[in-house]
Amino acid sequence: MARYLKLYLQFLKFSFSRSLEYRMDFWFRIVMDCVFYAVELAFFTILYQHTDLLGGWNYDQILIFVSGYLVIDAIHMTVFSNNMWWMPIYVNKGDLDYYIVRPVSSLFFLSLRDFAANSFLNLIIAGGILTWSLMRYPGELGLDNLIWFLFLLLNGSLLHYIMQMYFQIPVFWIHTNRGLVNAFFSTTKLMERPDRIYSDWTRRFLMTIFPTLLVIALPAHVLFDGPDPLVISLILGVTAVAFLGMRSFWNLALRHYSSASS
Amino acid sequence: MRSGSFFLHMISLETRKLMIYRVDFWITMLVNMVAHLVVLWAIWNALFAESNQQFIGGWDLQGILAYGVMVFLTGRIVRGGDLQMIIATEIYDGSLSRFLVYPRNYVFTKYAQQLGNVAPDLVQSLLMAMVAIPALGLSTTAIISPASLAMAVPSIMVAHLLFFLMSLPPQFVAFWADNVWSLSVLLRFVSMLLGGALLPLSLFPESMQQVLSWLPFVYLYQFPTLVLLGKVGVTEWATGIGSCLLWCIVMGWLAVPFWKRGSLRYTGVGI
Repeated sequence: MARYLKLYLQFLKFSFSRSLEYRMDFWFRIVMDCVFYAVELAFFTILYQHTDLLGGWNYDQILIFVSGYLVIDAIHMTVFSNNMWWMPIYVNKGDLDYYIVRPVSSLFFLSLRDFAANSFLNLIIAGGILTWSLMRYPGELGLDNLIWFLFLLLNGSLLHYIMQMYFQIPVFWIHTNRGLVNAFFSTTKLMERPDRIYSDWTRRFLMTIFPTLLVIALPAHVLFDGPDPLVISLILGVTAVAFLGMRSFWNLALRHYSSASS
Repeated sequence: MRSGSFFLHMISLETRKLMIYRVDFWITMLVNMVAHLVVLWAIWNALFAESNQQFIGGWDLQGILAYGVMVFLTGRIVRGGDLQMIIATEIYDGSLSRFLVYPRNYVFTKYAQQLGNVAPDLVQSLLMAMVAIPALGLSTTAIISPASLAMAVPSIMVAHLLFFLMSLPPQFVAFWADNVWSLSVLLRFVSMLLGGALLPLSLFPESMQQVLSWLPFVYLYQFPTLVLLGKVGVTEWATGIGSCLLWCIVMGWLAVPFWKRGSLRYTGVGI
C-alpha cells in the first residue's frame, strides 16, 4: 500500500510540472469546465421557472444534486479522464507492454498515472459550488447525513470510473472504442437527472444492472432523507461487485492482448 | 480531378472510413438513442405532471417530446460526426503540410471530409426517427408534413455549414496553443444551450429570448427543428435561411485572419 501511495505522489509531482508547461491549455480547460458547470446549472434554473418540483425535489435540493454531480465530474476529469483517453491508444499501438512488465498493478498504473492538474482547479471550483448550495439550503441537514453524502460522493466517483472502464476495455478486442466511449458519455445524461423522474422498472435497472443512479441521485437522497442502511448497502454492494467484475474483465482482456514484443 | 468530383470523392472516402467499424456504428446509435429517449421521456413527463400545466413555453407534452427527439436528430447531422479535432491534429503532427501542397483549398477539402462524416449520422438519424416518431403519438403543437420536411433539408444544410465555419477559429488557435480540444468542447456546450438543443428557447426568460434571437446559435439547432415540426411559415423560413447564410459569411470572414496569421507560423517536415 505504501509503495502505491509513494508512486501516486510521484505521478502528482510529474503531472503538475508537466501541465504548467502548457499554460494556454491549462486556462482553456478551466474555462471549459466552468462553462460546463454554468450550462448544467442554467438547465435546471430554466426548468424551475416552470415548476416548483421535479422528481420530488425543489430548486434548493436540485442545486445540491447538480453541484454534487459537478464535483464527481471534476474528480473524474482530474483523476481519471486523461488516463481513459490514453488507454485505447496504448492498447492499439502496443505501448501497453511497458506497463504490463512493471512490478505494480497495470490497472492502477494506467488508471491513475496522469493527474490533470488543470482540472484540479476546477475540482476546487466545483467544491465551492457544492459548499454554496449546501450553505444556502433553507432546511436542516444533519451532520450524519452530510458525512454519509460526502463519503458516497467519493464512492460515486469510483463507480463512474468503473462504469467507464466497462466501455473502455472492449478496445482489446474491437480495436476502436470511440463509439463505445461516446455511448458511455451519452448514458451519463441518465445520472445527471433526478432518479424519481424515471419509471419504477427503469429505476430498478439503473440502480442495479447499469447503476448510474447510485453515482449521485441516491447519495442525494441519503443527504435529504437520512442514512437508510438499505440504500447505503445497495450503493456500496453494487460498487464492490462492479469493481470486482471490472477487474476480472481487465485481467481477461490482458490475456487477449498481444503486440510485437509481448 | 475537377473541384466537384474531388469534393464528392472526399465525401465518399470519409464515409467509407467511418463505416469500417460497424460494431462501433451500431452500438453508438443504439445506446445514444435509448439513453436520450429515456431521459427525454422521463424529464418532460415529470415536469408536466408536477407543474400541473397543459402547456409549457407554448408546447404540450407530445409537442415538446417531438421537439426533443427532432432537435437531437437534426443536431447530430448539424454537428456532422466528430471532425472538430482533425484540423488541430493536422497542425500538431505536421500532416497539414501535404494539404498545403495540394492544388485544392484546405478549408474546402476539410468541408468535404465533414460532409463525409455526416453520412453515417444521417443514416443513424433516419433510423432513429423511424423508431422514435411512431412512439411519440400525436401533438397539437408540432406537425411534420412533406412541406415542412422539404423546408427542413436546406435549413439543416446551412446549419451544418454554419457549425463547420464556427468550429474553424478554435481549431486554427492550434497554430499558437498546444491543445485546443477544450475550445471545441466549449463551443459545443455554449451552442447547445444557447441554440436550443437542450431546451426549447421559448422556455427561457423573455429578455434572454430577445438576446438569443440575435445570436447565430439559434440557427444551428432550434431553427431547423422548428422548420421540421411545421412551426415556421415560408417568409420566416426564407428570412431564417438568409440570416443563417449571413452568419456563415461572418464566421468565414472571422476565420480568415486566424488562418492567414497561423499558417505563417506553421512549420512542418516532409509530407
